[in-house]
Amino acid sequence: MAKDIYMGEVSRNEEIRKDFFLMKVTLPSGFVEPMPGQFVMIRIAGLNDPFLSRPISIYSFSRGRSNCSMELLFRVVGKGTRILAGLIKGSLVEISGPLGEGHFAIPKAGNIVFIAGGIGIAPLSLFAENLCRKVCRSSDAMTFYLGAQSADGLIGLNRVHKYCGNIIVCTDDGSAGMKALVTKAFQKDLKKYDPMDTAIYACGPRPMIRALSGMLDAEYFCQVSLEERMACGVGACVGCAVAMKDDLGQKTYKRVCSDGPVFELKDIVWE
Amino acid sequence: MKVEIAGLKLKNPVMTASGTFGYGEEYSDYVDLNRLGGIVVKGLSLKPRPGNPPPRIMETSGGMLNAVGLQNVGVDVFIDEKLPFLRRYDVVVIANIYGESYKEYAQVAGKLSRAKGVHALEINVSCPNVKKGGLSFGSDPRAAAEVTRCVKAETHLPVIVKLTPNVTDIASIALSVENAGADAVSLINTITGMSIDLRARTPHLKNITGGLSGPAIKPVALRMVWQVAQKVSIPVIGIGGIMTAEDALEFMIAGAKAVQIGTASFINPCALVEIIDGIRHYLDENKIKNIKDIVGTLQT
Ligand SMILES: Cc1cc2nc3c(=O)[nH]c(=O)nc-3n(C[C@H](O)[C@H](O)[C@H](O)COP(=O)(O)OP(=O)(O)OC[C@H]3O[C@@H](n4cnc5c(N)ncnc54)[C@H](O)[C@@H]3O)c2cc1C
Ligand SMILES: Cc1cc2nc3c(=O)[nH]c(=O)nc-3n(C[C@H](O)[C@H](O)[C@H](O)COP(=O)(O)O)c2cc1C
Ligand code: FES
Repeated sequence: MAKDIYMGEVSRNEEIRKDFFLMKVTLPSGFVEPMPGQFVMIRIAGLNDPFLSRPISIYSFSRGRSNCSMELLFRVVGKGTRILAGLIKGSLVEISGPLGEGHFAIPKAGNIVFIAGGIGIAPLSLFAENLCRKVCRSSDAMTFYLGAQSADGLIGLNRVHKYCGNIIVCTDDGSAGMKALVTKAFQKDLKKYDPMDTAIYACGPRPMIRALSGMLDAEYFCQVSLEERMACGVGACVGCAVAMKDDLGQKTYKRVCSDGPVFELKDIVWE
Repeated sequence: MKVEIAGLKLKNPVMTASGTFGYGEEYSDYVDLNRLGGIVVKGLSLKPRPGNPPPRIMETSGGMLNAVGLQNVGVDVFIDEKLPFLRRYDVVVIANIYGESYKEYAQVAGKLSRAKGVHALEINVSCPNVKKGGLSFGSDPRAAAEVTRCVKAETHLPVIVKLTPNVTDIASIALSVENAGADAVSLINTITGMSIDLRARTPHLKNITGGLSGPAIKPVALRMVWQVAQKVSIPVIGIGGIMTAEDALEFMIAGAKAVQIGTASFINPCALVEIIDGIRHYLDENKIKNIKDIVGTLQT
């Protein structure tokens, strides 16, 4: 019995941009150091509505002397995230995690490319930070493509600036950076990236991942973080299925929560 | 806290519900499996099944819909790869089984009966009978009885028949499987429902309909347990929306000798243990020596 449901206390919850919140939670010291790409299931202590816990990626993590603290970056899209947005300092949340067996793998390649759509920046920027600070990868090796509908949706750029030497910003409406889809901006540069010496990491809406799969052949190492609705978060209900190829190339359903959420792009079966 | 069901000696009346606890391993980091009254594993079929395309789940008021489509590793992989893990624990293991034909039910039952570490079978009769145009075995008293007989003929293990609530008269199905030799009945399975995305005018589930579980179904489950317990003389296991020890006790008062906990584990993996402790506490506080003494004590 190694894992537990942790009682976390909100120490800060700030609307950093309209509908985008950065929440800091203090957790007991037993909480295990997360790997980039892992997530938590969060719910408001003592509240059974919304009924299910919500999966949120770990945006940052630090360990103090007597406790840990974790930041979650989230966007208000419905009931659960609206309630999370309303939490104030001192509110209690129940957190299980870190969850997910599939996380981002430390690259051997010389070029490291991140592609994020909107809130998809959350797990990727933690990964960029870890690569810089823990594996000592130079920021010059790291390129970050960030896309959003408009300038308002570009969040978390400050942190990315700290760790990535090259940043390409795109918006659908042209209100900041290039007026293009982030995948299109990446595709323009694709020739620059030798498949043998490039590792690509992506997180964003499904159409973005799908577009990537259309432009990258299997030679490229590309990991993506996927999302599905979840109930248990630990692999028990098989509710969060995604279609993947198995070792023999046959279609099989994998669990985003436990087999993922990070998978290899080439393994995804597009239904 | 000990209860006996069809010869099975359970440490306490609290078991996991099939499909909500994987094969035991998934929650073993959170729950001491040795404390459970029993573990009912995910429904097993003869061949592995891929399950339904996503999205498979949707939250609803006080519950959730699922259309997992009985994805499972198949009975052979279960025996070779999942059962050894469960054998490490001192806990009653109940294999939940289903098939698309009488023969398939019998074959799965036969394989599990020869495996070491399975203590009882629970038959899921909620699946469609392909020969009968997809009507579920459990919605027809004769088909339910026939499945029960086929499984009984293949096994020496106690057989629990898990009833579907999607019928007009659940007590008559219960009676029918009792007469066919069932050693116990468990109820209820999920209630068929659906939910719609208003903006897109599409169902939330790819399968369109799904099974409703969680506290939303508790009143229905309680009513059905009470109706069935009055009709049959074999033990009744209560399932449906149990979140707390109080919920579990209500089922026992309505006539259930034991209970299963499903969806509650998703939102609190420690729910099973908290319910066991809560029942203990209730018995102590009310000076009830034997848990049997509350079963079926509903005053009407
Ligand atoms: C592994 C993982 C990591 C995630 N990390 C983050 C994160 O760091 N920040 C963040 O803002 N969001 C993240 N999400 C998405 C987040 O879980 C959903 O936005 C949230 O559950 C919506 O809940 P709600 O009650 O506000 O919305 P609901 O009212 O439940 O739904 C509103 C809309 O969101 C969609 N939705 C609901 N649940 C999910 C889900 N689990 N995944 C995708 N779409 C969903 C619904 O289909 C609907 O369109 C992550 C999801 C997963 C699976
Ligand atoms: C995700 C999920 C999967 C399930 N799979 C099965 C199954 O394989 N076999 C079965 O007999 N019942 C299955 N059930 C039904 C449960 O065992 C239980 O009868 C039902 O959920 C009601 O109990 P609850 O409200 O405590 O969850 C499943 C339920 C859920 C939510
Ligand atoms: S959410 Fe239950 S298996 Fe993934």
